[in-house]
Amino acid sequence: MNIQWILALRYLNGRKLRTFLTTLAVVFGVLVIFGMNIMLPTLLKTFQATMLAASNEVDLTVSHRAGTPFNNSVLDEVRAVEGVRVAQGLVSRPLNLPADFFDQDPTQQDRISVLTMVGLDPALASQMRAYLMDQGRFLQEGDTGVCLISVTMADTLGLQLGDTLQLPTAQGLTNLEIVGILPPRMAPGNEEVLVPVSDAQYLLEMEGKFSSVEANFNTTAEDERAAIEQAVSSRLGSEYQLGALSSASEIFGTLQIAQNAFNVIGALALFMGAFIIFNTFRTLIAERRRDIGMLRAVGASRRMITGIILTEGLIQGIVGTLTGMVLGYLLVELLMGIATPLLGNFMNVQLQKPVVTLSIVLISSALGIGVTLLAGLLPAFSAGRVTPLEALRPSTNGKLARRMFGASAITGIILIALSLAALFSGQPALATPGALIFIAGLILIAPALVRPIALGFGALFSRLLAREGTGFVAQGNLTRQPERVAVTASTSMIALAIIVVVAGMATTIEETFMRVLRESLGSDYLFIPPSVGIWANNIGADASFADELRAIDGVGAVTSMRFSSAVADVLPQFTKGQSASTDGVAVSMMGIDPHSFPEVGGLEFTQGDPEVAYAALNDERTLIGNGVFMSSTGLKVGDTVPLITPNGTVNYRVVAAAGDFLNIKLITAYISHANMEKDFGKTEDVFLQLNLAPGADQPTVETAIKQVRQNYPQFNMINGKAYYEQMSGLMRMAFSSMYFVFLFLAIPSLIAMINTLAIGVIERTREIGMIRAVGATQKQIRKIVLVEALLLAAVGVAFGLLGGLYLGYVTTNSLGTVGFPVEYYFPWSGLLAAIAVGLIFGALASIIPARQAARLDIIEALRYE
Amino acid sequence: MSIVETKELTKVYGSGDTALTALNHVSIHIQAGEFVAIMGPSGCGKSTLLHLVGGLDRATSGGVMIEGHNLSDLNDTRLAELRRRKIGFVFQFFNLIPVLNALENAALPLLLDGVPLKAAQKKAAEWLDRVGLSDRHTHRPSQLSGGQQQRVAIARALVSEPAIILADEPTGNLDTHAADEIVGLLRQVSSQWGRAVVMVTHDPRIAAYADRIIFLKDGVMVNETRLEAGALPAQ
Repeated sequence: MNIQWILALRYLNGRKLRTFLTTLAVVFGVLVIFGMNIMLPTLLKTFQATMLAASNEVDLTVSHRAGTPFNNSVLDEVRAVEGVRVAQGLVSRPLNLPADFFDQDPTQQDRISVLTMVGLDPALASQMRAYLMDQGRFLQEGDTGVCLISVTMADTLGLQLGDTLQLPTAQGLTNLEIVGILPPRMAPGNEEVLVPVSDAQYLLEMEGKFSSVEANFNTTAEDERAAIEQAVSSRLGSEYQLGALSSASEIFGTLQIAQNAFNVIGALALFMGAFIIFNTFRTLIAERRRDIGMLRAVGASRRMITGIILTEGLIQGIVGTLTGMVLGYLLVELLMGIATPLLGNFMNVQLQKPVVTLSIVLISSALGIGVTLLAGLLPAFSAGRVTPLEALRPSTNGKLARRMFGASAITGIILIALSLAALFSGQPALATPGALIFIAGLILIAPALVRPIALGFGALFSRLLAREGTGFVAQGNLTRQPERVAVTASTSMIALAIIVVVAGMATTIEETFMRVLRESLGSDYLFIPPSVGIWANNIGADASFADELRAIDGVGAVTSMRFSSAVADVLPQFTKGQSASTDGVAVSMMGIDPHSFPEVGGLEFTQGDPEVAYAALNDERTLIGNGVFMSSTGLKVGDTVPLITPNGTVNYRVVAAAGDFLNIKLITAYISHANMEKDFGKTEDVFLQLNLAPGADQPTVETAIKQVRQNYPQFNMINGKAYYEQMSGLMRMAFSSMYFVFLFLAIPSLIAMINTLAIGVIERTREIGMIRAVGATQKQIRKIVLVEALLLAAVGVAFGLLGGLYLGYVTTNSLGTVGFPVEYYFPWSGLLAAIAVGLIFGALASIIPARQAARLDIIEALRYE
Repeated sequence: MSIVETKELTKVYGSGDTALTALNHVSIHIQAGEFVAIMGPSGCGKSTLLHLVGGLDRATSGGVMIEGHNLSDLNDTRLAELRRRKIGFVFQFFNLIPVLNALENAALPLLLDGVPLKAAQKKAAEWLDRVGLSDRHTHRPSQLSGGQQQRVAIARALVSEPAIILADEPTGNLDTHAADEIVGLLRQVSSQWGRAVVMVTHDPRIAAYADRIIFLKDGVMVNETRLEAGALPAQ
């Protein structure tokens, strides 16, 4: 064995605690890199599935051109295409019900005259769409003779969980047990009766056949999706038509945001893992400067020194990397094990196994070992550059370090200035590099900022601990070694910045979603027709329904929507999945009352001023277009569009871009009731919203409202608040996987922060011995260590908040660039959480070293090198 | 022939107004087997002279010749090689590697020079025995007294059979008894084992063991005294 191995092994063995903690840093670094990356593909898929499911969309729908059922072998063909993540065969057929089928009462108008029976695969369906149960359970494998219906249908028919629903089928009258009740139906179409696909095939005489096949892909990359669609298309031939999720749709935008966010997290994990390892090693090598000087004095060349450090790093890198990968895998298994039943219970979403690929193993190994070597090499090179004499003299380090601080602080300031310029340029492409530059700038500027920050916080602690006089000692220790403090603080910075970013993003996304929901559907009561979205099929009510509702004592405001269709005489903007047509764009025209609508419901604006827009609707021929309208017509605010109406072509000016929740997927334009009547001749309300007057007695008013509604049975009455809560629950679930990922990233970085703090204290063993020697009590020593750890954490918190605010702002804004209307919410909760977490973990980090330091044998400590 | 020769050796720290001349045109010659002590008040340039002679630092002007090699002609690697083979260092604070035992510490220069472990340890063991540590081979520095640690350092300095031993206040960190033992050992290194020993000290009693004392003041050589064995130097 040569001297390099001997020395490396002896150093590792002779400093067991230090070796353990350093290797632990490598372990955590690799754990984050490896764990995140084997988990991300699975989580991304889950997130995609959840978002698609929550929005009732799938990536691809296959149907026969003739509209007829087809052989179930088509499902196997679709599944065989690479890139198809999951596919299920569906049977769906409308059931026209005989007159008075349910109520047996010819004097009453039938509330339900048509239903759609949908047969789906109990196991796969929940991977493709979200079924949030109101009561009971979802379909299970092996079920037969059972069904699910919506709460509105159950109310209309007076049915409950466990009751029997009788339906006319090809096999005669069939009884189905209701095992689950779904929330009110908000998706376009008729009321549905969900049954297992095998039952549906039997009952509808469609054995061995499907009416459609649905598939979800494993990518959101546009070109890959096109390739998958192409592959499915060529495999099935021309008699099948494909309906693909339009890349212009909002849900697709959300998926892309998610994919970008997950990619950023992956990159952040790499960066953070590398940083943890690098920092820990840098600290250790700096501590060994004196030994390096001595080795140089007795004749070791620079190359030899480098060799020793490389060998040591290699051993720790290999051991740490292997351990990190094993622990990463186990941790992911554990977390997935915890998360699966949670997600399963709420969403029927199945998490898949973590995906370990060769590339992830190679990347993790390269980073785990490579960064460890690099982290040792850089300080070794710098140690080699000074003469052995300088290395032997501790005092010269300070001078050298101060020279380096000056240069790095200036570079840091320049980088931060550049990143701010990138931020204010508003160029989305500059967001990511800007964020990385900002973090790098903070790291470089950190040593120069340590002193003022430590002095500020130190003054506070000194006051708190004035009687013991320990605050000053701790503060002095910190300001004397700004480089070491900066290194530790930058590790904390990354961990805490992540908390702030998470809080920022989470708050913003959640608030935005909830705001859209609240504004669209936040009224106290909603009156929804049976076929939401398929407005033309619905029988509405004339103005008297709204008037009668208004007349009820305790009703505040009532507003309604009216419907007509029109064609915008413009060249459609072709997007993938939409058929090319030169006949203009079919538009759903929704009439609203510009006065009462904003009070009770409201649109979510992405362009234009709401007040100006609503006022303009009344005054002239103007319209507000929703997101899909704007993207499919290619129009901008201020443009004029010719609309083909029953009364000829009239020109409408686009005054704003805004949408509501119910029409979010339909090409929709909003005009005033007045224009709806003038140009389309429609005065029929198809959707109503009602708010109670302030202080109204809800149960009394609700009874009165229900009485009025009895004359308008075509409307389902829904409690807006209850519906909003149900929908917001669904949305929160959709984002839960995102929180989960961030949590995974934050926890190891916090442990790494404890690790770095502990190493920082252990390095000072000798000084602690000296303080004990001059008369400090054990209690004082514990306090000094605690205060020092808290000060270190405080410096980290200060940097973390800065970094987190910047990153949070950038990430949130980048959501806006993909067409998702967001408003930045200042993450107060995140800031408070980061401060609390930083200081608590700081205190935790001091426990072991403080006990050790207090119990140190003074002579031993003084001898410690 | 001189083993060590310095010519007009000058070392200036800093520049401009803050320039400090630590050593000012010092020329000395040291013969093989000669024991030379360098004395003078704090800051007179004693240690600077030693460091320049040992190739730990570079001179501002003038030159150092070790066995005919001009140190200023050597690059870093060659200088390291020279330190390994021709020069042995003994420091005031021992500077042993804490994680290595006495035998491994003593063998360090040979191991750094690529000598196989067994051969290096055999030689180190011989030197440890010679300096009186035959029963301490496997002890770590933390398990040895100051005097014993300094003996390991001397064994380490001698293990590669260098021509010259440079000792910087080798007794500065020891009690009187241990100091006498160590300086006696250095005396033995020069008189019995034929190495040139250059020792920096501020203790006249320790310096009295030398063959010759060079006095420095403000970076300049002010006096030189040759001693009879056992005589105290003139003050």
